[in-house]
Amino acid sequence: MAAQTAQLDPKRVEEIAKYLKKGRDGDIALKDVMVLAELMVGSMQSFFEALDSSVYTELREIADYITGAKDEIRNLQANDIKNNRIPEAGKELDAIVQSTEEATNTIMEQAEMLMSADTSDTEAFQAQVNDAVMQIFEACSFQDLTGQRISKVVETLNFIDHRISRLAEVIGGGDAETHLTDLEAASEKRKENLILNGPQSAEDAISQDDVDNMLNGGSEGDSANAPSQDDIDALFD
Amino acid sequence: MPVDVSMQVLVVDDYKTMIRIIRNLLKQLGFENVDDAADGSEALQKMQEKKYGLVISDWNMEPMTGYELLKEVRSDDGLSRTPFIMVTAESKTENVIAAKKAGVNNYIVKPFNAATLKNKIDAVFDD
Repeated sequence: MAAQTAQLDPKRVEEIAKYLKKGRDGDIALKDVMVLAELMVGSMQSFFEALDSSVYTELREIADYITGAKDEIRNLQANDIKNNRIPEAGKELDAIVQSTEEATNTIMEQAEMLMSADTSDTEAFQAQVNDAVMQIFEACSFQDLTGQRISKVVETLNFIDHRISRLAEVIGGGDAETHLTDLEAASEKRKENLILNGPQSAEDAISQDDVDNMLNGGSEGDSANAPSQDDIDALFD
Repeated sequence: MPVDVSMQVLVVDDYKTMIRIIRNLLKQLGFENVDDAADGSEALQKMQEKKYGLVISDWNMEPMTGYELLKEVRSDDGLSRTPFIMVTAESKTENVIAAKKAGVNNYIVKPFNAATLKNKIDAVFDD
């Protein structure tokens, strides 16, 4: 800090020393006190000037920092994210769930219809098969729309990621320790206790062959999640 | 020994579509007596009311998971010997180990096909 380098005026300090060295008999007069006070204040003049300047500089830096952070928070467009982008992304995801469900139901209905169809009349059965196949083709068109909807959701996530990253850069510092709400903590605890990991990516998931090997006491194969021998041994204790 | 396809089977899954898929696959395999439940607690209630020869359960359900259902079944004297197959997207080693320790008879990772389901059912009744 610049103020720490501010010095008392040496000339003034010398004057104080000289004044104090003067031989004095009896009580100190008010005049002496006044002179000494004047000398003291004079000696600290440059110190206060330096201190003023450094405090001003630091305050200026803090003000600039706050202004920058405020700009970044404004750029974050939190209201737009909260009121528009997140609800829109939610709607897109709901639509994806709905369209995949509808398509699955259509395909399954047609498949079930074919499974139970009367095959004794070949011509009628062929017409039924053709009709079912066309409906299955039509139902599969959901994939195109779903892809576009997912792209919009990813775009929203990228928008939020970009702005949060920039804000974190401006604010600086590492991540604070996470403070979960009671509800979040209970949910996390439940996931941990009940081993709720959810679907894994292809590279993280173990295959059916790996599962079979584990249950049959074989090795885990090449899976990245291979259990230790102790884990496997414990299964058969 | 061939599997008795007339047995009562209970399919537990919170996704109706998955129940429908498993029901159809079981139908193809000859199983006609199939009930379903949307989570572990509903399944447990059904198991206490009716005897099932096989339970095929998902893992991740609310409020009671398939893992909790498995532990409940294994700790209940009247139900503990019921064959139990886990059919789930929970595909981490720790899940398989936990299920095995809890007493699962077999474990199928989603997505799966009819042949896998048949093989696992056969394996459970061959033991």
